Amino acid sequence: MDPEEDRGGSGEDPSGARKAELDRAFEELYRAHLRDVYSYAYYRVGNHHDAEDLTEQAFLQAYRHFDRARRESDGRPLRPWLIRIAHNLASNYHRDRSRRPEAALEAVEPPSHPHGTERVVEGREELRLLIAKLDDLPEDRRDALIMRFALGMSNREIARAIGRSDGATKVLIHRAIRQLEEEMGDE
Amino acid sequence: MSEDARALDLEALLADALRPIEPPESLASRLETTLASITEQAAAELSSWAEELSETELSALRDPRNWVRPVVAAAAGTAAGGALLVVQMRRRRQESGRARRLADELIRAVRPS
Repeated sequence: MDPEEDRGGSGEDPSGARKAELDRAFEELYRAHLRDVYSYAYYRVGNHHDAEDLTEQAFLQAYRHFDRARRESDGRPLRPWLIRIAHNLASNYHRDRSRRPEAALEAVEPPSHPHGTERVVEGREELRLLIAKLDDLPEDRRDALIMRFALGMSNREIARAIGRSDGATKVLIHRAIRQLEEEMGDE
Repeated sequence: MSEDARALDLEALLADALRPIEPPESLASRLETTLASITEQAAAELSSWAEELSETELSALRDPRNWVRPVVAAAAGTAAGGALLVVQMRRRRQESGRARRLADELIRAVRPS
């Protein structure tokens, strides 16, 4: 997808100019959010191979509907729309494989830490426990936490991505954190 | 530990556990290649097919019942592919105003809303 390719004849051709502009905008979108989609996919499927496939599928779908999404966005950021596509694909992924969606995070390795050895062991154990507890959360709560903490999305963005109101999303995240606190406290 | 402090602690732990994951470097170029091939494929299929048409076939294409093939091709490339197709068809069929009008007509007909 080389935007330069079409630019030659675009001066005389509104359709060509529009396509080039559309491609440029899409390129910006995926460069800006490739990491977001990939991170989300990884935390949903639990391995790099499937996360790559899911990311690719998400962007292909986004490309197909990009023109319309831009028209309907009224200038709002398209990240929630993009994450919603990935969210739906991840749900299909789990459904197609007849897996419990909760199984995905079990495979996720806690990230390594730039601390001393003792702190690393202690920290990694705590992270392992947290990931196990995250894994036990209902799917909507876990999803909201992935969007908040892995992607840094605001409540409003998350609300758009999961198709709920801002208020309901705030409550969802609050309850997810409270549930984790309680379950971590029980250990 | 107070409730607020515990919540903050857990949020810090969550931020640690759910760090963003860097995609492999190859993924971006793989994506670009795939997207480019989709638009090119759709455009090539439609434009080469349009060039092969006889006058009778061009007339027949005004009948919507014959629009299955372009619909299939355009579905592969979507609106972006359709736009590219219009550009290519216009370039190749500059002399034939009638054919160009037909191409536009077809694209309008097959373009996803």
